[in-house]
Amino acid sequence: MSAEVLERLLIAVAISGLAVAAYLLFNRYTLQRASTKVSKFASYQSGLPAIVYFTTPTCAPCKTVQRPAIERMKANYGKWFQVIEVDASQQPEIAQDWGVMTVPTTFVVDASGQPRYVNQGIAPAEKLIQQLEIEDYSI
Amino acid sequence: MESLKKIDHSAMTVNQVIIIALNITAFVLNQPWLAGLVAALMLLGTLLGQPGFGFIYQLALKPAGLVKPHILLDNPEPHRFAQGLGGVFMLGGAIALFGGLTVLGWGLVWMVAALAALNAFGGFCVGCFVYYWLTRFGVPGFSKNPPTGTFPGMRPEGGER
Repeated sequence: MSAEVLERLLIAVAISGLAVAAYLLFNRYTLQRASTKVSKFASYQSGLPAIVYFTTPTCAPCKTVQRPAIERMKANYGKWFQVIEVDASQQPEIAQDWGVMTVPTTFVVDASGQPRYVNQGIAPAEKLIQQLEIEDYSI
Repeated sequence: MESLKKIDHSAMTVNQVIIIALNITAFVLNQPWLAGLVAALMLLGTLLGQPGFGFIYQLALKPAGLVKPHILLDNPEPHRFAQGLGGVFMLGGAIALFGGLTVLGWGLVWMVAALAALNAFGGFCVGCFVYYWLTRFGVPGFSKNPPTGTFPGMRPEGGER
């Protein structure tokens, strides 16, 4: 491999690394933006992990995939977490406030009220269980 | 009234991944003609209303079962516009490279690769976002609005796999 190709390869790796870092920072920014907002929900119970689930009535994958996944989780592990559902079409200001760009979007909030993960698009039950740090993944 | 069509987003994702790979290869090996080839195929694909490298998906990856279709209800026009815009940037980049303006040329090539990556891995199509804003401003020729419940430029979720 010539020195020029190697140099260009290193530049390419550096640029790609910067892009990945920018993506991670954006995700972190979205979570930080949401950090003080969960307690504003009237139904929020402090001390209990939460899934904040953004949906709309017209969202087909919400009905066919995301909601059934959350329902299965609630049936199995319901006492260990709470679900706060937000209709983004009825409450667009909340969706905007949380930085939601598509539905379904789920935020996983830990017991101290800090958002830990954001999933833009469908999040399978197994992924949400892992993010909630529930030990038993069999669902 | 929405007039959405069934669009196979796997074809577009494959197209974007190939564009990223070829652009980085062109840069690493310092081969401006490769950037020109990407520009030509992107612009040709735009004229034909297909992803420029969609034939690789249609002829090889899909029949071999390596990539499954991901059909979503979406507007094809913003994606065509986005590819055309990317093709123009690539063409500009290739011309700049052949003209000796290497920083500008490779800058444009990297910009197209970055936007393709944002679309392929982040589900956000910047060209589509621009298209929807042009619709909002009432620019002639731009008439489609994003699918209900979807942020302009974001990939509509769900669909058939």
